[in-house]
Amino acid sequence: MAVDPCAKCEEVLQPYLDRELSNAEMLEAEAHLELCSYCRKRYRFEVNLRRYVRQAAAEQMPPQLKEKLSALRTPLL
Amino acid sequence: MSEMTPETDARRLATESRDRVRFEEEALELSDQVYRVARHLAGSREEAEDLMQEAYARAFRSWRSFTPGTNLRAWLLRILTNLNIDRGRKKQRTPDTQPLEEGDYFLYNKLEESNGPAQDEERVVERLSQDDVVSALSAVPHDFRDVVVLVDIGDFTYADAAQILDIPIGTVMSRLHRGRRILKRELAEEAVGATDGR
Repeated sequence: MAVDPCAKCEEVLQPYLDRELSNAEMLEAEAHLELCSYCRKRYRFEVNLRRYVRQAAAEQMPPQLKEKLSALRTPLL
Repeated sequence: MSEMTPETDARRLATESRDRVRFEEEALELSDQVYRVARHLAGSREEAEDLMQEAYARAFRSWRSFTPGTNLRAWLLRILTNLNIDRGRKKQRTPDTQPLEEGDYFLYNKLEESNGPAQDEERVVERLSQDDVVSALSAVPHDFRDVVVLVDIGDFTYADAAQILDIPIGTVMSRLHRGRRILKRELAEEAVGATDGR
């Protein structure tokens, strides 16, 4: 039975973006993405999602914690 | 064997104290970056703060075991993740062993299904709030979350993550893959589950 090309493309989304595919696999994915807007949208979304998660997760360290960490230093003789 | 005169001894102490001060300064300079990762390795802000203090206290005590010129941020996070894993074991959560049916398109499909097709697909991601991301991350089981946080938020390479967590690189890759899918499932629940009247 033939493999559904979109299912195959979904399967390689992460290794594709992480540049872990072999050349042949990468070319195969790119050929499909060229033709298929359904998969293309979802790949673009994944790229945006990774960036968004990184930004949304970024939290400043509370200033009083920094002071507490400095207080843990070894006192100078 | 070198002879230890009071003079060489004093010189050795002075060098050691200078090295220690330098180490402590460098470790503190990295604390913002370490916190950014620690915040999501831990389940809450309070836990992250405790963990940071415990890790820095330990780092300052064992500074001699750090090899200058190697990655200090990774070294600090190794201490921190070890402490965090010890804590996690004490209040063990059920590991995520369920088969994961959802693939990598799941979140996009859910967002589209609940909000209608996007006019501007670049903005689909904005249907998720910052709170959604923070809660979804904390819902990912420890083993998977550690890898996702180190690689996707802390920007560590697979090799660094493998060293920090003391696991093979293949395990880093498989946990990352699965962890990202679990994160997307949790994000779908946060974002779409709520609008379904959950």
